[in-house]
Amino acid sequence: MKEKLAYLMGAIAIALFARNIYVISGLPQEVNQGAIFKIIFFHAPMAITAMYCSCVALFGSVMFLITKNFKYDALAVAVTEVGLGFLLANLVTGSIWARVIWGVWWAWDVRLTSALVCWLLYAGYLMLRRAIEEPTQRATFAAVFSIFAFLDVPLVYFSIRLFRTQHPGPVFFSSEGSFPKDWSAIFALNMLALTLLAAVMTIVRLGQENAQREIDSLRRTAHAI
Amino acid sequence: MFLLLAQVTAEDVSREIARLQRNYEFLSYGLIVAWVILALYVLMMVGRERRLKREIASLKAMLEDKQPR
Repeated sequence: MKEKLAYLMGAIAIALFARNIYVISGLPQEVNQGAIFKIIFFHAPMAITAMYCSCVALFGSVMFLITKNFKYDALAVAVTEVGLGFLLANLVTGSIWARVIWGVWWAWDVRLTSALVCWLLYAGYLMLRRAIEEPTQRATFAAVFSIFAFLDVPLVYFSIRLFRTQHPGPVFFSSEGSFPKDWSAIFALNMLALTLLAAVMTIVRLGQENAQREIDSLRRTAHAI
Repeated sequence: MFLLLAQVTAEDVSREIARLQRNYEFLSYGLIVAWVILALYVLMMVGRERRLKREIASLKAMLEDKQPR
């Protein structure tokens, strides 16, 4: 059932991407930035998807610490790994946009730096998991670390509202932003497609975590015999 | 209007064309890199899936061999 749902979601995501890429390629160029502006249709939804993932990771980590149920630990690790991929793609697309508009690949402003720190923190979370052998200790330490890593997420989100940054100001949920309505619809559809893709990846990754737990239990049985 | 057009040199036009081309070039780099990152992650997952299935099969086979007959 879960596999069928994942396949269905994957198929919807691919269909949405095909439609969106066709529509985006036909959009006119932005007055000041030109064609490179269209990267926002992928850059921003990738960041938002990564943010969703970190919220789910926080939920999984808190729930594990409360219930000690390993299914929450599996959810946290699966969603963190997927989110890390999306955040990396977001950082790279942003860097390419910056090279054209700012003339530099990177600027150490609050938004960019906090996003990079966020990526490094979650990469550290995955490295920490590899360093601890004992499953309960690994899951507990990782959950605490994940909650600590989440502290950076609000800083990333609010950095462009609270500080004067080189990064452009907020376009959505802000009185300063201006984004044409029909473009917002395309943006929202791309957001939906990326969220579906992230959900499919998380379902597959969760299955792998369950398989890993099965391997651990089989190994324990083999040692006991 | 005519006066404005008269001020545009061939150099200006070629500079604008080069800017537009560079813009498209970087847009395609951005999109390609983003999708390559996600595709690499999917490939990594496929590899991990195969390794896990192999490991489960070999452990099960080993346990069956170890079971007293």
